[in-house]
Amino acid sequence: MTMGPRLRKAALTAHVAASVGWLGAVVVFVGLAVVGLTSGDAQTVRGAYLVMEPAGWYVLVPLGLLSLLTGLVQSLGTHWGLFRHYWVLAKLSINVVATIVLLLYMQTLGYLADVAAETTGDDLAALRSASPLLHAGAALLLLLVATTLSVVKPRGMTPYGQRRQQQRLGRQAG
Amino acid sequence: MHKSGAIVGAPRWVKVFGAIALVVVVLVAILLLTGGGDHGPSRHSPPAGLHPQP
Repeated sequence: MTMGPRLRKAALTAHVAASVGWLGAVVVFVGLAVVGLTSGDAQTVRGAYLVMEPAGWYVLVPLGLLSLLTGLVQSLGTHWGLFRHYWVLAKLSINVVATIVLLLYMQTLGYLADVAAETTGDDLAALRSASPLLHAGAALLLLLVATTLSVVKPRGMTPYGQRRQQQRLGRQAG
Repeated sequence: MHKSGAIVGAPRWVKVFGAIALVVVVLVAILLLTGGGDHGPSRHSPPAGLHPQP
């Protein structure tokens, strides 16, 4: 089913907003992770790890799911399709993998928040973890690749896309 | 796709992306297998000696 122009623009706006919002939220997480690793103040380090879990559940997860959902609507409701072009397929793969890893990683953010909440004193080494920076950095890289694919839209149709195109051209010729 | 109707193979960028993705997946799998329990929430458990609040 192909959407009309107005609906298509609305769906595209929703997809861009959700995806760019997700990218921005990941950048904030990189910042929080750097604060957690570098700040000399135990309260600040504790605060950084405490805020990661609710921010993940209330911002990262909803934006990731919204980006996936609006992306599905956008591809299935336009001529791009979901499996016809390699760049769409690559973006779908990135989105699905990033969302699954994020959902799994929320458990780790919960543990880090628990450690920050339960430990006392100024033992910064016990609080610090490089894991959020590693994961947020990898997520940032993936989402930047997805953004680049959206803008560039590199050529290349999948075998399925080529067969669909052949069928369409055949119908037009007939 | 050629005008003849023959199916064209994947472009170079797809092959490069696929190769990079494969390398990353293999590296992550090796890290998970060799790291064992070091990956995941268990690695973040507080070390002994810390005193959790009651």
